[in-house]
Amino acid sequence: MDPRERLPDGPGGTTGEATPPGPRSDSEFAHASEAEFARILDFYEVAWQYEPKVFPILWDLDGNVLESFAPDFFLPDLDVFVELTTLQQRLVRKKNRKVRRLRELYPGLRIKLFYARDFRALMLKYGRAALLSELSGASGQVLSHHESEGRFEPAGGRGVLDPPGNRESGVNPVAPASSPEPRPAREHRSRSARRRAGRRAASATAHAAP
Amino acid sequence: MKPPQNLVADVAEVLLTEEQLEAKVAELGERITADYAGRELTLVSVLKGSLPFMADLMRHISLPLRIDLMEVSSYGGTSTESSGLVRILKDLSAPIEGRDVLLVEDIIDTGLTLNYLLRYLNGKNPRSIKVCALLDKPARRLVEIPLDYVGFQIPDAFVVGYGLDFGEVYRNLRFVGVLRPEVYES
Repeated sequence: MDPRERLPDGPGGTTGEATPPGPRSDSEFAHASEAEFARILDFYEVAWQYEPKVFPILWDLDGNVLESFAPDFFLPDLDVFVELTTLQQRLVRKKNRKVRRLRELYPGLRIKLFYARDFRALMLKYGRAALLSELSGASGQVLSHHESEGRFEPAGGRGVLDPPGNRESGVNPVAPASSPEPRPAREHRSRSARRRAGRRAASATAHAAP
Repeated sequence: MKPPQNLVADVAEVLLTEEQLEAKVAELGERITADYAGRELTLVSVLKGSLPFMADLMRHISLPLRIDLMEVSSYGGTSTESSGLVRILKDLSAPIEGRDVLLVEDIIDTGLTLNYLLRYLNGKNPRSIKVCALLDKPARRLVEIPLDYVGFQIPDAFVVGYGLDFGEVYRNLRFVGVLRPEVYES
């Protein structure tokens, strides 16, 4: 059985259908580079889904999910996941570790990691180099690092272990079907939307004050 | 962008010499001739980058063949307000239904353009369709498409010459070279 069939859906879509082509606003995505990538896929008529699946990659002794990973894109016609990493090196190392873990646990899954240099080369190729500073690194980020990491905090400070199935048999990399949990839904808001929300919150606080 | 005055000076390193290119194109031509022996071939060149390659390659193929040209728009960024789709800027000038087609490409990078073209051309019901690429840059491949004939696998570098451009310049270099980063970073 394909392990993905048991996995919870991510916030990007639960129907399994590709996102229809259309205008792409940066605020639909966690990072401006992802919006640009979606526009490139649209342009070349490649079907895609944004963060359609969440893959548990770390469990505690009780089988509770401690850490999960939601690749940015799934290209259903090509059966490949794509993860963009245009952030700083520290986070790239984290992503590399997660992708390595994902490949170990789900060996049939195809995932392509697009590094900052790959994205930069793409932009260069398409004559979009001038936009690189806007689309790369922290300046293109819509969510904070904590929001985008998708890490579950260990409950009760338990030690972090491999999924039981993986440790015991060395064959079944997927934890019991009941143990993976969907990670909290991510909220995709642009920076301006977050500023507006902040202003509303500040205003509400001011009105509520005696 | 100010046009460069000395094209060669902007190249950091010659990746493939004129002699290496000539030898490889001849070798590819011989292979294609052998593989398609007794058949009539249609070479389809994807403009503009594959033009020099196609011109050289066809002269090393000893078969009755037709040539045709296609051009598709390249992604240039689209406004967040409107969607953009790839467009056929120049379509085939003759039908390819029932014919053996060899798509001639200069370089395969992400595979997005090739993927689109193959889907488009397959819709025209050719007898067969294969791909001949001078350069294969697998590092950034998104769409895995089997390449039937490959000249050279190259590293992940920005290359120009022998049809490949930067800002429409450098196509006329006789070799394939790596462009100096300061040229495209400026």
